[in-house]
Amino acid sequence: MSQQLTITIDGKQCTCEKGEYLLDVAKRNGIFIPTLCHHEGLGGIGSCRVCICEVVARGRSQVVTSCIYPVEGEIEVFTKNERIKEQRAIILALLHHLAPASETISQMAAFMGADLPRLADKEGGEKCILCGRCTTACEQIGTGAIAKCGRGVTKEIATPYHQPTAECIGCAACANVCPTGEITCEQTDESVTIWGKTFEYLRCSCCGEPFATREQYEFAASKRHLPADPDTAAATGQDPEPLCEACEKRATAQRLAKNSIQFVVEP
Amino acid sequence: MSKANASQSAPARQLLICCGTGCLANKAAAVAEALEAAIQAAGANAVVQPDALQLKRTGCNGFCENGPIVKIHPDDVSYYKVKPEHAEAIIASIGGEPYQALLYRGDDKQPVTRQQDNPFYAPQHKVALRNIGQIDPLAIEDYLTSGGYQALRKALAMPPARIIEEVIASGLRGRGGAGFPTGIKWQTCAGYQPTPKYVVCNGDEGDPGAFMDRSILEGDPHSVVEGLTIAALAIGAERGFFYIRDEYGLALHNVQAAIQAATAAGYLGDDILGSGRKLHLEIVRGGGAFVCGESTALMASIEGKVGEPRAKYVRSAERGLWDMPTVLNNVETLANIPYIIANGGAAYAKLGTEGSKGTKVFSLVGKVNRTGLVEVEMGATLRHLIYDIGGGIKRNRPFKAVQTGGPSGGCIPAEMLDLAVDFDSLTAKGAMMGSGGMIVMDDHDCMVEVARYYVNFLSEESCGKCTPCREGLRQMLRILTDITEGRGQQGDIELLERLANTIKDASLCALGKSAPNPVLSTIKHFRAEYEAHINEHSCPAGVCSALCVYTIAAESCTSCSACKRACPLGIISGEKGVPYSIDSERCIACGSCRDACRFDAVRPIKKERQVVAS
Ligand SMILES: Cc1cc2nc3c(=O)[nH]c(=O)nc-3n(C[C@H](O)[C@H](O)[C@H](O)COP(=O)(O)O)c2cc1C
Ligand code: SF4
Ligand code: SF4
Ligand code: FES
Ligand code: FES
Repeated sequence: MSQQLTITIDGKQCTCEKGEYLLDVAKRNGIFIPTLCHHEGLGGIGSCRVCICEVVARGRSQVVTSCIYPVEGEIEVFTKNERIKEQRAIILALLHHLAPASETISQMAAFMGADLPRLADKEGGEKCILCGRCTTACEQIGTGAIAKCGRGVTKEIATPYHQPTAECIGCAACANVCPTGEITCEQTDESVTIWGKTFEYLRCSCCGEPFATREQYEFAASKRHLPADPDTAAATGQDPEPLCEACEKRATAQRLAKNSIQFVVEP
Repeated sequence: MSKANASQSAPARQLLICCGTGCLANKAAAVAEALEAAIQAAGANAVVQPDALQLKRTGCNGFCENGPIVKIHPDDVSYYKVKPEHAEAIIASIGGEPYQALLYRGDDKQPVTRQQDNPFYAPQHKVALRNIGQIDPLAIEDYLTSGGYQALRKALAMPPARIIEEVIASGLRGRGGAGFPTGIKWQTCAGYQPTPKYVVCNGDEGDPGAFMDRSILEGDPHSVVEGLTIAALAIGAERGFFYIRDEYGLALHNVQAAIQAATAAGYLGDDILGSGRKLHLEIVRGGGAFVCGESTALMASIEGKVGEPRAKYVRSAERGLWDMPTVLNNVETLANIPYIIANGGAAYAKLGTEGSKGTKVFSLVGKVNRTGLVEVEMGATLRHLIYDIGGGIKRNRPFKAVQTGGPSGGCIPAEMLDLAVDFDSLTAKGAMMGSGGMIVMDDHDCMVEVARYYVNFLSEESCGKCTPCREGLRQMLRILTDITEGRGQQGDIELLERLANTIKDASLCALGKSAPNPVLSTIKHFRAEYEAHINEHSCPAGVCSALCVYTIAAESCTSCSACKRACPLGIISGEKGVPYSIDSERCIACGSCRDACRFDAVRPIKKERQVVAS
């Protein structure tokens, strides 16, 4: 059904499906394009612009962001010609002065030869490059505890009014996807502290391992239309005991076996 | 507002009172009331009987600085700067000699009675603004009398493809900024199968200096409703939106009223004029962010999301509002549509230049003698706009540059006064058509400061999503501020150019892609001015207050004391017969004295440099 296309990337012939993202095609063909805001699980954000490439289509040349650029025709792509190298270096220099404390970014900037001492560090700039991975993750989970606030040069990532928020469930997804380690998240066996709030871990009723915060568990339960509180859930028998992922899988398998449910396998 | 007249035949005379936002701010409402009272008071003794006079409140006549404006038809008399106390004299003059005190005085100071003899209006060619100032925007019957909704009737009898052909033949290009051919946009959208489709009118008008869209929405809302309805017929949409910024109170009110009246009269709704076609229009209020005028940000905002743009690798015509095929057009674009359908695309294509057909509304402001909204054929020269219509530069100062296209437009220098203005010629010179803003500058404007001003605006108005735009503008702003404050460094111009090129190529949306224009165009045409700031720490225009102070040239001073009265710090002294002088130690170079002096005696000199830390 899908249409096959042949494109050239840095002189190499590559085949791909129509509509595939350029970054994915390049990766599959062993061509490296640097990225920052792109994350497999989050979908195209397109904010950092580090993944820019030059695309020539029907004689017209254009700079595109490969992570969100769908290949629609027979194009010629340059991932590291002079124009792209210059612009990528400038973008990294800009990011470096936005987030001077970020090791990742300074290394990347140095690697790209991005040295523009005339640029000034952002006042109060730490590690955040405003890539939007964290807010996208939080939004996709459905919690919406953090957001990009303000516009233009005053944009920042924050909870509403910089206060600990009831929306946050302590899942730390934001910290996990952050490419620069800006989001501080203190984890112990007992609890996790993030965005100014400390969350206590629930322990798996089977193996005893800490596996989720109470708020995280309740949030997931509310998505499954179960009583939010794990104790009530257990008491009503709707969700016997809080289990970690591994134990949950095992329990489900055992239940299925016991009820000897027949799986209908389509031919 | 409209008062249907009791007598069967139309009243012999109309009294048109401009009640656009500008004139209302100058008490036009009180003028209208005073005129109504004066008509009644004159009563049976008047030359003209009250019932032979119809009083109408119209939209903006475009010459707001001379408002409130009152026009009498068919006598063709126009009065300017009318105050309530003039009402009696105006009414008494009807049918006789015009009331001299309120007539416009042209360049030769002679009174001008007829609007088409007024040098501001004479060269104009009105298509988009055709009805504004002539009709009561709240009276659908006024719109109908001037030919309104005839184009819709015609379009209902045409297959959609014919409508599109007509728009393509007209050569109309979008007036919202990018100049994309409207007919092609409709054709592309019509070609996509998925439904429902949507039509959207962009009434965000984020350019702070422009007010043509507001003026059209206020003064002739039905023309835009009709244009949008024709667009909907062409692409097969049954639902449409007006996106209008919240502070446009009168526009919001008048569009709402127009939608209601058009629905009641059967031009909108479930069965348009019995054709079985449907269209429902609603208004969405915009929060006023500049970036929300950008098409994808605007659609996100209508969907209730954060007004951030998305990449346009897939066009809105294919996937727009709620991912469905959508046509978005600007207010002025849509106001041209009924004219095109009624008169034919070919008639419209006779106007304008090869690549830019029709007319364009400009908001002409800045250092010109006459400012306001002007509609001229595409291809009019800058000289025509600035000197013929605008009446030249204030106080006969030298013309230096004109900034066109809104905040992310560019500056065009005096050498190019004979440039024929259209989409392509402006872009070729590093400026752009944009919204049609035109800010005229004289030798007292510093081009580095102009660039800094716009970059500052854009850095605040950028949505902040992508790196080149947000961070690039922040760094450019800092460098430009350094230059205007005497901290410029060697290599700054080249660095600005490098940053500009990256911002232009690598930004996500057209805000970022066009944001470097003010910097690049001023560097291109006024590089020496940048160099003077950086190398000599001097501001040749005498504007940058960190670099200059003012003195008074004794030989030119006539001791008129105008400067002294203008100085906000009171640091100018002098007396009759003795040249005045400024305490330069305390001068902040605000320029008030220089603007006040009619003899060019106040002059900037370089400020002795104190070392200013970065
Ligand atoms: C930053 C930015 C602001 C814009 N603001 C407006 C606006 O206020 N009004 C408008 O009609 N178009 C605006 N545009 C252009 C729109 O994106 C779009 O091109 C236009 O509304 C399409 O209509 P048209 O083809 O009739 O011009 C803006 C574009 C950008 C990039
Ligand atoms: S905190 Fe991390 S993930 Fe979030 S925007 Fe900043 S750099 Fe990106
Ligand atoms: S170019 Fe500017 S306005 Fe456009 S998406 Fe990027 S940051 Fe936002
Ligand atoms: S990785 Fe593509 S824009 Fe960030
Ligand atoms: S509002 Fe009256 S001329 Fe503009």
